[in-house]
Amino acid sequence: MPAYHSSLMVPETRLVGNMALLPVKTQFKGPARGDGVDSDIIDEAIYYFKANVFFKNYEIKNEADRTLIYVTLYISECLKKLQKCSSRSQGEKEMYTLGITNFPIPGEPGFPLNAMYAKPGNKQEDETMRAYLQQLRQETGLRLCDRVFDPQTDKPSKWWLCFVKKQFMNKSLSAPGQ
Amino acid sequence: MAVSPVQVGKEATGEWMFSSSCSHLCVCLGLPEQTEPPLNTPENREYLAEIMFETFNVPGLYIAVQAVLALAASWTSRQVGQRTLTGIVIDSGDGVTHAIPVAEGYVIGSCIKHIPIAGRDITFFIQQLLRDREAGIPPEQSLETAKAIKERYCYICPDIVREFAKYDSDPGKWIKQFQGINAVTKTPFHIDVGYERFLGPEIFFHPEFSNPDFMQSISDVIDEVIQSCPIDVRRPLYKNIVLSGGSTMFRDFGRRLQRDLKRTADARLRLSEELSGGRIKPKPMEVQVVTHHMQRYAVWFGGSMLASTPEFFQVCHSKKDYDEIGPSICRHNPVFGIMS
Repeated sequence: MPAYHSSLMVPETRLVGNMALLPVKTQFKGPARGDGVDSDIIDEAIYYFKANVFFKNYEIKNEADRTLIYVTLYISECLKKLQKCSSRSQGEKEMYTLGITNFPIPGEPGFPLNAMYAKPGNKQEDETMRAYLQQLRQETGLRLCDRVFDPQTDKPSKWWLCFVKKQFMNKSLSAPGQ
Repeated sequence: MAVSPVQVGKEATGEWMFSSSCSHLCVCLGLPEQTEPPLNTPENREYLAEIMFETFNVPGLYIAVQAVLALAASWTSRQVGQRTLTGIVIDSGDGVTHAIPVAEGYVIGSCIKHIPIAGRDITFFIQQLLRDREAGIPPEQSLETAKAIKERYCYICPDIVREFAKYDSDPGKWIKQFQGINAVTKTPFHIDVGYERFLGPEIFFHPEFSNPDFMQSISDVIDEVIQSCPIDVRRPLYKNIVLSGGSTMFRDFGRRLQRDLKRTADARLRLSEELSGGRIKPKPMEVQVVTHHMQRYAVWFGGSMLASTPEFFQVCHSKKDYDEIGPSICRHNPVFGIMS
């Protein structure tokens, strides 16, 4: 069962719900500040994605793992969309649209892992969580375009698209059929 | 001396019987040695003796347990003077993998464990990975293509995440090309061989990749087997972990097993040291996985080795005894071979 876990958890990390609000190197607006961080949670999630996606069981060791799980599930969503894109510019547009789409947050009925995530306690936490998750989604989509598109052919690489059908923990952020 | 192995089955309809694991027949100077799976019943041995003596008219017969022969085969990889029939045999073929502990030539039957991951599962997993990614493979040939790729290109890596990174950063070095011929149109097809090279055999260590019901890594199963054996035999078992069977032929399989088992054993000893407050300082556990050139046919090779020793003639059951006493003489086959 040893899947790959996040090593970014430090005791001072701010929590939103029971997810770690880790800093992210991003230009997008949101609660996460990205200054001075070498490798952030999104880099980690992308690095571990190809291995983690095969695991059906995942043991949460710390709050940063919950953030990692969310980003991993979102990467799967991105790949589903990128499969249909025929060029990098189209891919980036799709990623932007997907990032601002309203995905369910922990506590809402559409969220697949409500058992492991806590609902935000008050309205302010709810807003923070939504904003943070949107920031994560937008930045993940952008960074994935870097990796997935082959610079020579401008098409998505088969070495990423082969993971489209794999579901991390057998869960998915969107409903089946999308 | 020993001639090529012939597969003999045992089937309940009289002359031909089928056994659950394959039995090999070695013909050594006209005196056959038969092998049997562990936990075989004495009645089965009698049936076998009847067939051998009545139908085939052999001059002598000895029925050996496969695991013990695999241990004997492992003697080729070490100097004489260290020969032992105590060890744990990891036998992995096409259908199922067994971990069989043997002490002084006797199998500890109650501690045997089976793992439902073997060659067939690896081939199937590779077939699925290829299907998701490569478009050129003719559908009827996808299983045999996967099998060819498994046998030619697969290996065991120490860490899958680092391996993925290696493949992504330097594809020219790690991604191989495979060419097959379409059996119907006779035109060649080319495919890339990538991640399945290390992901295929990885299912031994992460069975959940391919089997939703079984989660325990093979190293954990082996550790459990050894821990369930009598305490005085555990250190010798750790020291002599012998591989046998085609599915153990992956490059670095032994190294990975050894590394994982050493980690588990060291962690256990460290824990006992902590719990005792530093009073107990256990001797470090020596973990050794034995690999050798004849691993693929280890059982057969062990059989032919033992059958070529002079002692073999003494422990063999002769036709004369069979004629006098009957098939019950073959119920018991004494352990031999450590004297040399």
